[in-house]
Amino acid sequence: MLKKLVILLFISLLSVQISHAEGDELPLFSGIGGSFSAVDADGKAVEFSDFEGQVVVLSFGYTNCADICPFTLGYLARLYSKLTEEEQTKVQIIFVTIDPEYDTPGHLKQFIGHFNSDFVGLSGSKEQIDYIVSLFQAKYQKLSVLNTVPTKNIRRVTPKLFSDESDEEDKASLYSHSVTLYLIDKSGFTRSLEYTGTPVDEFVSKIRGLINE
Amino acid sequence: MNNRRTKWHYLLVLLLLSIMNSVYADSQPEIVFEKFWIVAAPDVARSTAGYGVIKNKGDVADTLINIRCDMAMIMLHKTEITSGMAKMIHQSNSVIEAHSELLLEPMSFHLMFMDITPANFSEGKQITVKFEFETSGVSEVNMTVKANNY
Repeated sequence: MLKKLVILLFISLLSVQISHAEGDELPLFSGIGGSFSAVDADGKAVEFSDFEGQVVVLSFGYTNCADICPFTLGYLARLYSKLTEEEQTKVQIIFVTIDPEYDTPGHLKQFIGHFNSDFVGLSGSKEQIDYIVSLFQAKYQKLSVLNTVPTKNIRRVTPKLFSDESDEEDKASLYSHSVTLYLIDKSGFTRSLEYTGTPVDEFVSKIRGLINE
Repeated sequence: MNNRRTKWHYLLVLLLLSIMNSVYADSQPEIVFEKFWIVAAPDVARSTAGYGVIKNKGDVADTLINIRCDMAMIMLHKTEITSGMAKMIHQSNSVIEAHSELLLEPMSFHLMFMDITPANFSEGKQITVKFEFETSGVSEVNMTVKANNY
């Protein structure tokens, strides 16, 4: 009996130590992040404080991005799948568009849903997006190539088989943008700056550390 | 005697032709395409990416001068990350040196398919891309659209 108690005590001490080690390693980034307002994928106004109590992974991007944004969302989907169902309820993955004119809430919802329906896509007015970008010290810039040229006009010079031509102009643009993944704790403080290249297990460990704080 | 000399001349010419042919063959680029695939696009996407490897197994360099696809506008792009910012840069006239390769992978070189019809780029579809090289000419490569499995 005594032997069993000693083993149990050892295991519980070990697990407390592990959870502290995971959380304690993360500093608090003063000046990166904060409260903001946006529009969710259902078109409803949201405040960042609505996510209080959840660990948040926040990223910036846009749906007309062919390489890094789908790659990042695929990476986040893989990361999210490593969490248990219970852990998933305590974590929110947020994708903030830097192209709110093109990425309307409905459009964003369908795009994000391709990767994981639990993920939240945030849009809003250009002023709202610019404010969020500045809060997180992120950056974005419209690329000069294809800048203001509607893709419909580009299509005209390239022979292509389309059966559903539309007269509506499609003003999707290309951007350069920050690729940082912001790991935010349950109180809304930024605790780690990650990248798509961070090993998934290492990132999951940091998330677990913040869940257990 | 004359007959024998003519035969020797004939053999000598054949030998020279054979050597010249072998030298010429050795000084050609040899372009090979491997492991190409395209990322399945979300229903509302207007663009997607393709990845793979273009190898030049020959003894001289060759230059990729054009890429075409009937199903989309296509370009060779490179994502460059500088100071935490990802920027896409259009690549034109990419030289592939002898015995080297051009690796197309996420966050680096990639084929960018623009103005797509997502249904044509859904999982399991086949897309043909034509690569035109300065010396090797045009090669058609069939690529399968696969789920995002990064």
